[in-house]
Amino acid sequence: MLDTYTLQTGTGFWDPVVWIVVFLVAFLIALAIWLLGEKDYRRGTQQVKPFLSGNVEPEKADVHMRAGNLYWGFTEAMKGYYSRLVPLHTGVLNDYVLWFLGVMALVFVIVGVAA
Amino acid sequence: MVMILGVDPVLVLGGTVAVALFGMLAGLVFMGIERKFAARMQARIGPPIRQPFRDVAKLLSKDSIVPENAIPCLFNMAPVLALASSIVILLYIPLGGFLPVLAGYGDLILVMYLLTVPALALVAGGFASGSPYATVGSQREMVTMMSYELPLAIAVIAIAWRLAAAGIADPFSLATIAGTASGITIWSVVGPLGIIGCVLLLIVLTWVTPAELSRVPCDTPEAETELCGGLLVEYSGRNLALFYLAQGVKTVAMAALAVALFLPWNISWFVALSPNAALAADFAFFLLKILAVIFFSVSVIRVGMARFRITHVVSIYWGYLGGLGLLGLVFMVLDAYIGGGGVL
Repeated sequence: MLDTYTLQTGTGFWDPVVWIVVFLVAFLIALAIWLLGEKDYRRGTQQVKPFLSGNVEPEKADVHMRAGNLYWGFTEAMKGYYSRLVPLHTGVLNDYVLWFLGVMALVFVIVGVAA
Repeated sequence: MVMILGVDPVLVLGGTVAVALFGMLAGLVFMGIERKFAARMQARIGPPIRQPFRDVAKLLSKDSIVPENAIPCLFNMAPVLALASSIVILLYIPLGGFLPVLAGYGDLILVMYLLTVPALALVAGGFASGSPYATVGSQREMVTMMSYELPLAIAVIAIAWRLAAAGIADPFSLATIAGTASGITIWSVVGPLGIIGCVLLLIVLTWVTPAELSRVPCDTPEAETELCGGLLVEYSGRNLALFYLAQGVKTVAMAALAVALFLPWNISWFVALSPNAALAADFAFFLLKILAVIFFSVSVIRVGMARFRITHVVSIYWGYLGGLGLLGLVFMVLDAYIGGGGVL
């Protein structure tokens, strides 16, 4: 069934045009169900206040999630890895180029051995 | 037959509507049965199986509140996107003896990436809520996604690689993997070492399912007892109803994916039946397999476990399950080269 509009990588394949079409159809179905629901609510009342278990709402800046905290949990669980990796990021371009060359040499060795 | 851009529009559009209806109805029924399973395991009677239908009907009739801190268009759009993207996943997965509606238009790798879209819609909705609870929930959902992607990718790629090593064409096609047309599946290709590898990968996928569906022990993004519902805390009415429906559809999609990868057998492969009877028998058997997958990977795990901390989710999925998946992959490679399994 593969046709000229299907992108093929040699083993994998997908057709973005068909995906967009079926996504639009599915979106319309979902939208129709959404439109069936009740749309009203009491604007300007306590109903629209954020639910904070009865606590006073903090200042926006106090609860704003900064980009550095976005992956907290991942970085915390992997801190053994990050504690070694972060110091390697010195910000000096020479160091990065050296790493690049070293890793490329290693890749060539591995590919050469495998071949 | 009229073809547009190489596609039969009647088949694709009709198939999309049919699969959408099936996904939503089956999702709610299976969620009802799953709640019954869990209740019985906890010595409770549990709600009736039709309870999810009542929940959706009631939610659609309730106020759909948009909090004052929210970004309304994104807040309202997220549940619609979640449901639509969940439906689209089902279109690429074989349903019993039926080929996927979009067979030939997308492969297993695409399905793996599409599985992240409903979760991303949840994340977007949570951030758009403007609530501290929802923000933390969204952040946790992203971390959870990052955690289960590695074991899921290993399980998926190991199966496709083993089929490719056996010389089977289109190894990433789900129709090929499920053996819908040929009857050749991963189990008919592997030898003893490959069977061990497949069992390890099946265990990995069984544990990826609750994380993919944000069910206990991986419900840290919602965590009712600490985040009051997390990324769904501000959702109500029709918006919550759509997230609920999306959860049902995604449950069916994940279970159908597990069935296609590891439990692909059909009744008609073993019993001679007329074509129509074969389709019906295969579909009924498919629904039973879906139920079995939901029982083991959702009900049993959620009843037997407490919620993981978010750091535990990462270490367990990247460490233990990633390692187990790699071990399964090693067994598959050994099976292909020294284990007596089928190789091209």
